Parts: sequence; C-alpha cells; structure tokens
Amino acid sequence: MPTDIQAQQGTWWHTAIILTSVMIFCITVSVLFLLPQSLRLDEAQSLWESGRSPSALLMIVAKDVHVPLYHLLLHEWRVAFGSSVAAARSLSLVFYLLSIPALYLLGRLAYSRTTGLYAAVLFGLSPFMNWYGSEIRMYTLFTLLVILNQYFFLRIIKKNDAAAWTGYAVTAMFGIYSHYLFWVSLLAQAVFYVFHQRIFPARALLRLSVVAGLLAAVFAPWVWYVYALKEAGMQLPLLARPTTVDLFNAFSQFLFGFQDDAINTIFVSLWPITVILAFLGLRRNGTSHYETEYLLFTLVLSFAALFVGSLLLTPIFVSRYLIFTVPSLCLLLAHFFERYPLTLARTAQWSIAMIMVAGLVIQIQNPATPVKENYQQVAAYINTNATPQDTVILSTPFTLYPIEYYYHSPATLVTLPIWNRYETGPIPAFSAQDLPTQVAEITNGYQEAWLVLSYDQGYEKTIKSYFDQHYQEISARHFSRGLDLYIYQLRYDTVSSAAR
Amino acid sequence: MNSSDLFSRKHSFLETESPKVLLLVNGIMAIVYIVALTFFFTPGNRILFGLLIAGEVFHLWQVLTFLYTVWDTSYVSPRKVQFNPSVDVYITTAGESVDIVEKTVLAAKAMSYPHFKIFILNDGYVAGKENWHDIERLAEHLDVFCITRRSAGGAKAGNINNALPYTHSPLIAIFDADHVPHSDFLAKTVPYFVNARVAFVQTPQFYKNFDANYLTNGSWAQQEIFFGPICKGKNRLNSATLCGTNMVLSRAAFSQVGGMCTDSIAEDFVTGLLLHARGYTSVYVPEVLAEGLAAEDLQSYSNQQFRWARGAFDVIFRYNPLFMRGLSWAQRVQYLSSASFYLAGIVVVIDALLPLMFFYTGAVAIQMSSMLLAAIFLPYIFLTLYMIGRVSKSSFTFQSLGFSMGSFGIHTSAFFAAITGRKNTFLVTSKQALRGNFIPIIKWHLLYCVVALVGIVVAFDREGITASLLNNGMWALLNMSIFAPFIKTALPARAAAPATASERSEHESEVISESLLSTRHLIHSQS
Repeated sequence: MPTDIQAQQGTWWHTAIILTSVMIFCITVSVLFLLPQSLRLDEAQSLWESGRSPSALLMIVAKDVHVPLYHLLLHEWRVAFGSSVAAARSLSLVFYLLSIPALYLLGRLAYSRTTGLYAAVLFGLSPFMNWYGSEIRMYTLFTLLVILNQYFFLRIIKKNDAAAWTGYAVTAMFGIYSHYLFWVSLLAQAVFYVFHQRIFPARALLRLSVVAGLLAAVFAPWVWYVYALKEAGMQLPLLARPTTVDLFNAFSQFLFGFQDDAINTIFVSLWPITVILAFLGLRRNGTSHYETEYLLFTLVLSFAALFVGSLLLTPIFVSRYLIFTVPSLCLLLAHFFERYPLTLARTAQWSIAMIMVAGLVIQIQNPATPVKENYQQVAAYINTNATPQDTVILSTPFTLYPIEYYYHSPATLVTLPIWNRYETGPIPAFSAQDLPTQVAEITNGYQEAWLVLSYDQGYEKTIKSYFDQHYQEISARHFSRGLDLYIYQLRYDTVSSAAR
Repeated sequence: MNSSDLFSRKHSFLETESPKVLLLVNGIMAIVYIVALTFFFTPGNRILFGLLIAGEVFHLWQVLTFLYTVWDTSYVSPRKVQFNPSVDVYITTAGESVDIVEKTVLAAKAMSYPHFKIFILNDGYVAGKENWHDIERLAEHLDVFCITRRSAGGAKAGNINNALPYTHSPLIAIFDADHVPHSDFLAKTVPYFVNARVAFVQTPQFYKNFDANYLTNGSWAQQEIFFGPICKGKNRLNSATLCGTNMVLSRAAFSQVGGMCTDSIAEDFVTGLLLHARGYTSVYVPEVLAEGLAAEDLQSYSNQQFRWARGAFDVIFRYNPLFMRGLSWAQRVQYLSSASFYLAGIVVVIDALLPLMFFYTGAVAIQMSSMLLAAIFLPYIFLTLYMIGRVSKSSFTFQSLGFSMGSFGIHTSAFFAAITGRKNTFLVTSKQALRGNFIPIIKWHLLYCVVALVGIVVAFDREGITASLLNNGMWALLNMSIFAPFIKTALPARAAAPATASERSEHESEVISESLLSTRHLIHSQS
C-alpha cells in the first residue's frame, strides 16, 4: 500500500512538473516574442471598445456582433493593471495558461492521465494557441470555457454528481457570453446526446432541459438588447467565401501555425500522411470510446457548421472562430497515438511535438507570417518621415484603430472612404463614383499622400489604380502581408517638391 | 500469452455490432465520393483517370456489399438441442505428421456426442508421402477407422468423395488434419440440422498458433473480420461460406451435388455455391469450436492465398454466381462479393502505379486541387475505417490490412492464371514452418519501393518541390507503408521459427482446458 501511495505521489509530481514546464514555455514565448509585437486591427478594436464605460462598451460590442464577457473583463483588467498593449495581452495569456491544466483534467477524465498530459503538451506547443494566447481578443477565454464545459459534460456521464451539473450550467452561462460560437459547442453536445442517450444517467434529459432553459433566460436579455439596437454587424470586415483549401488550412494552422504560402503549401500537400496515420491506428486495443465520438462530433460539426453557414448565409469561416475545437483535436491526437505500439507511439508523439515547435519558431521569426500586422512599424515610419504638409490616408477605414495607437505624426490622418467614427452609423460603403471627389477632398492642399492599404475589402485595387493613374508614386514599402504604404507626389509647385 | 488473453482473442472477433446510422452514412458518403470523383473532377490523363475510376468503383462495390452484409449480424439460426443423429467424422490428411493427426483424432474422440464414428481419410499414399502407413497404424492404435485412397484425383475433394461410399451416417463432420475440435463441437453444430433443408453448418477456422510469429498473427488478423462480422452477416442472408474444415454437412444434400466439387481448386467454396443453388440452407455458428494452424512461413502463406484467390476467380469466370439458377439475389451478391475480393490485388497495383506515372512522366489522373480531393476523400476514408472498427470491435488491424493488400502479387498472379486457364495443383498448406529465402516473394514490393524513391528524385529534378510532387510522394509512401507488414515477414530476421514442442504443448493444453470448460458449461446447461 505505501508503494501505491508513493507511486501516486510520484505521478502527481511528474504531472505537475510537465504541466508547469509547458506553462513556463508559453509564458516565455509570450513575453519574449509575442507581447512586444505590433498591435493588430482586432486588438486595437478591443482596446478601443474596452476603454469605454461599461454601458458604452456593451452597445459597441453588440453592434460589433460579439458578446461582452471578455470586453468587460478586459475593461476591469486594464483598470487594475494598466492600459499598455502588453498588459491587455496578458489577460489572454492568463486564460491560455489556465486552459493547459484544464485540458489535462479533461483528458484524464475522458481517457487517461497520459493522454491528458500529452494533449496538454500539444496544446501548449501549438503555434496557433500561442498566437492567440497573446492577442487582445476573447479567443482564449472562449477556449477555456469550452474546455471546462466539456469537462463537466463528460463528468455528468461518468459521475452524475452535483458538481458536474453545477459546473456544466455555470460554464455554459459564462460561455455563451464569451463568443456566439459557444452555441455550436452546445449543439454538438445536443447531437451527441441524441445518438447516445443510453449512456447518460437517468433524468438527464430533464436536467439538460433545465440548463437549456437557464441559458435561454440568461441570454434573452442580450438578444433583445442587440435586436433593439438595430445596427448589429455594421462594422464587420468582409470575409471571403471559404473553399476546401481553407478547411485544411485551418487544421494546418492549429498544428503548425500561421505560415507563408510556400510553407503552408508543403504542410497541406502532405495530407495523405493522415491516411497513413489512420491506417497505423487500426489496432486491436482500439475499442471505441464514446468520448472519442463526442470529441469528433465537436470537431466535425463545428467545421461543418461554419463552412456550410459561410456558403449559405454569410462568410464566417476563419480559423480563429474554430479555436474552441483545438482542445478536441489535441485530445483526439493524443488518444490516437496511444493506440500505436510503444515505439511507434513515441516516434509519432515526438515528431508532432517537434514539428509544432518548428512551426512556432518559424511563425515567430518569419516576417512573412500572414497574421503579422506591423502597424507599429508603419506608424513609426510615418511618425519619422511624414510632415505636416502630407496627408496620411488609411484604407480600409477601420485600420484607423491600430494606426492611431502608435501615431504621433503631425501629418493629417484620414480614411478612404471618408469616415467619421464619432458619427452614428456604419462605415460608409465604398463608391467608385465618389472616389474622385473624396480623393480630391482629402488631398487638397497637401504635398504628398501617404496611402496605407491593408485589410482589402474589395476596393483596394481600385483605389491603388486611381492613385497610380493620377499621381506619381514616389515610394512603396511593404510591412507585412497585405499591409503596404505608397507615397504619392500630389503637387510640384513647392520648394520641397521641386527638390524631388 | 495467458489463458485469459487467449480466451479473449478467441471470442473478441465474434463480438460484432451493426450501427445502422453509421452504416447508412458510410454508404452515402461512399456513393457521393465516387460520383464526385467521376463527374465533378477534371480528368488528367484519360487512361489513368479511367484506371483510377475503375479502382474506386471496385472499392465502392466492396464497401457497399460489406455494409449490406454486416447490416445485421445478430441473426441466429433455429435449432433443436435434442436432435442428435449419427455423424461420420472425417479427418483429412495428406502427409501431415502423425503427432498432428493424433492430436486431432484424440480430440475428436473426446467429443461429447452420443453417436459418431471417426474416419481418417488418408491421402498419403496417392500423395506419395512416406508416412501413409504410419497413419494407418495410428488409426488402428486409436481404434478409429482409416480410409486410405488408392487412386489419385481431385486432391482433398477427391479424398472426401472417396470416403462417401464407405460411410453411412446422415451427417458428415469434416476436419483438416490440424484442426482440433472442441468436445462440444458436434453438440453445438448438429442441432441446426433439425431443419432438413440445412445443407451445412460452418464454424470459424481459428488459428491456435496465431501468436507463433508475425505472419501467423497477421494471417489470423485477416481472418477475424471474415469469420466475425462478415460470416455472421452471411448467415442472415443464407450465404454462409463453406470453408472446407470445421464444418458439418448433410449427406443427403452433399450427394445431391455429387459430393465435394473436384473441378475447382477452391472445392469447398464451389461446393457451398452448388448447395445454395440447389435451394439448401446454410448455417454459420459464431463460436470457435475447433482450432487449427496457420501457415507459419511466407511461402506456405503465399501458396494458400494463391489457392484461395485462384478458386475465387474460378467461381467468377467458370461458375458465375450472377447467372447461376437457384440462387437468391442476396446469395448472388454474397458469392460475387467474396470471390471478387481478390480483384483487390489488381486495384492495389493500379493505385500504386499512379504516383509512379506522375514521377516519371508528369501525368496525373485528375487535374484538380489536391485539397478538393482531400475534402471528399478524407471524411469518407476516416468514416469507413471507423465503421469497420466499430463493426468488427477493432479486430480489423493494420496487420490485416497490410497482409491483404500486400498479397497483391499473389492475387494478381492468380487472376492471370484464371483468365489464361492455367492449371494449378492443390497444395496442402504446410503445418510446419518451411525455412528458406522468402525475398523473391516480396520482389515486387521491394522493386516498388526502389522505383518510387528514384521516381521522387526524377520528379524533383523536373519540377522542384511542388504540391503535386509532395502529394504523390505521400501516396507512394502510403503504399510502401501498407506493404511494410508483408516485407517485414519476408526479411531473414523474421523468417518463421516453428513453435517449439513445449510451445505447441502449451497451446494444446490450453485448447484442452478450453474444451473442458466448454464441457462443464454443456453439462451445466443440461442440468
């Protein structure tokens, strides 16, 4: 008996050390490489929104087609810890770090200690998770709440205790206010219940119905509020309709991070290797677990819902919206590799882990990483080189948020289409007919136009083409993917323009 | 392996399930996949495209017939426990060692059944085996009958037919020399003959030496899915496969079709077909009631696979169940499905050649984004693998897949032998491992690996690192991975080592223990 206790204590220490090491790794990556990065568009928007009073924040978030939990927490966090970008990002880091032991607990409950541990390691090494673990957005909060909710959901099946039901209801109530897509996770649970009613405890349907009713009651005020505003979705960026390439890119990003086209092509083209891995997983010890089916439901249903929804309704398929499926993916991989014979399992586990670390390194180091948005560098360049005689034109208009965070230049800052943020209403739509008039208005009296183009909403080429046809391009700079600066000479009748 | 694990391996493959929704969805996905591939993908090279589609149509046929077969694996044939007519027990031998035959005879004598006689059908004389006298002496020593055939012809089928006039019981149980019956074999098979239309009762062909080496493990792994969900499903469709051993036949039905078919190398398979065509019923009993030996070396395994494949093609080309009178549509589908299984060898060759064609010529079968193919292929293949795992309760392993697909050379050779009408002799599967160099058996596998690796270099030189190169490279790697179990078996380090006498004794004692357990169970249920 003493030997068993010692063995358990040894196991506990071993687990604690590994989880702690993973968390320290994530903290190190974040502090050294991710926290100092330039503010990104979405982050700037979060800062702007959370800088308002809670009542104003609620209104803005509702119009922005999001739910307010994260923004409210960020607001209080900034009050407590300051307004810097690093401080704001650290809130996401906290949620990410908490997700690691949470995922371990989920994996241990669903499968085994070793499966939970390896899944937590994968989760901690994921370049994708590390990226959003240092982004001023709700994604890690969303993911944490999904993990906890999944834990309690499985605990209902396995233990059916008060803690399970209470935890399930509480995490769901918070979850639906972390992101709208939390409902997709709940939907996956509902579908799973329909197919596996027998494994649920007695009266589960009744209790689940009560929870559903609670959620409806808790969420109804928000729905009414959003409906009453009548302006939801006015500031949504334009997303492209997804293709099958996006499906695979999402998985590739989850595991290998955001890579430039050349590297991404390599990863994605290797997809038949998944068939090899699947064949190698055909093992006699591979009895079907309902937990596996549940996680598969979550993964497949979520992808299908967003993909089909994007085709039929409005494009919403972006990998960050599917971040809540990353824990399921990690658990499934961990469980799957454990089916292999020991040597093959260790080889596969180490290989995936090393590839993920490599992906993380490349993601951090590669200036061409697609999600990098070097607005800080753009603003720094403008701050150093633009003069009061110049006009800085931002297109798309909402890129004003990240630019102005670093902007100290005396040059005028305008947008194209022309947009006044402080007037009620959506961002004006682009009109090719109005373009000449608007350009004339914003360039009148200036010497140079500094055109910053990013987040193309479908009219970037038109604007660029107009400027190319009517003005002389003096300089062009590329800062990150899709973020470019073009400087045009507007007039030649000044001393400085003559000098050029 | 301890007794508990052994018991588990004997029974786990019989624990099947039929998740209807999963089967239905899988079928739909299979159809969607082939339709999308055929009509919505832009063909590249027309010949390659045609070959690809032909292969995928074959896969579709296999998937759909599998789904149809395993749709319900719970059917139990009616029987009457108190029905116990006399049985003639045939133990066929053609040169097996005396100790192997002795074990089988002793176990047969120990069967708990009121009326039966044991006959050793000794083909050692016509087969030119030196120990044919020893078999006669063994029979005398064990006080059983021995029928030594004096005129050759028909191999094992001829041996069985030769014994028919000398025996008279209404039922005939047949065992190969190495297939040791459990004591309750007759008690659990004969009751089904209460229905006079039952022609035969078949039980699983379990290999008690499944863990002797890598090959026997893989060989049994291949059989598990067949004797598990497939045979249980065939039972529902009155299409049980006559396997040649561990079976009981009705003499009356047997004589209607002229005994065992001697025209085909797969005499058992064809005889079952003829019995079904006569309107008789078959029964499959999903319980291990006899245990035999798997081939322990790759040569013996290859000979056996060739025989089975050759016989299967005989069924397609000579007997053609599709047009045979007397069969129900379910039976036609089942026989065609089972026989056509060995066409998989040709499909494996086609699929393996496609990446090679790209490497050396740049030609591709389809001119579409690889991602689009992945989008429809991956869900389909993953779901299919998951479905097979659920249905077979995870008895379908990578080893069984590897051995099935790795046998492409044997199956292809059998196919060409069938279409050219080449005569092939019946070779008794060796019950002891042969020693030797088995590398020639895997020459095509090794050649493929070399050609593929060189091809990757050629393609890289032609176009650098492109998505097509990576993709086709992975397909080639997939093929090589699947061939790996087969290659591994032929390597000198893995050359079969026959189980030692003590290992065999250990197995046999476990079999006898199992039999005693069954007997105790039988007594308990009767009391």
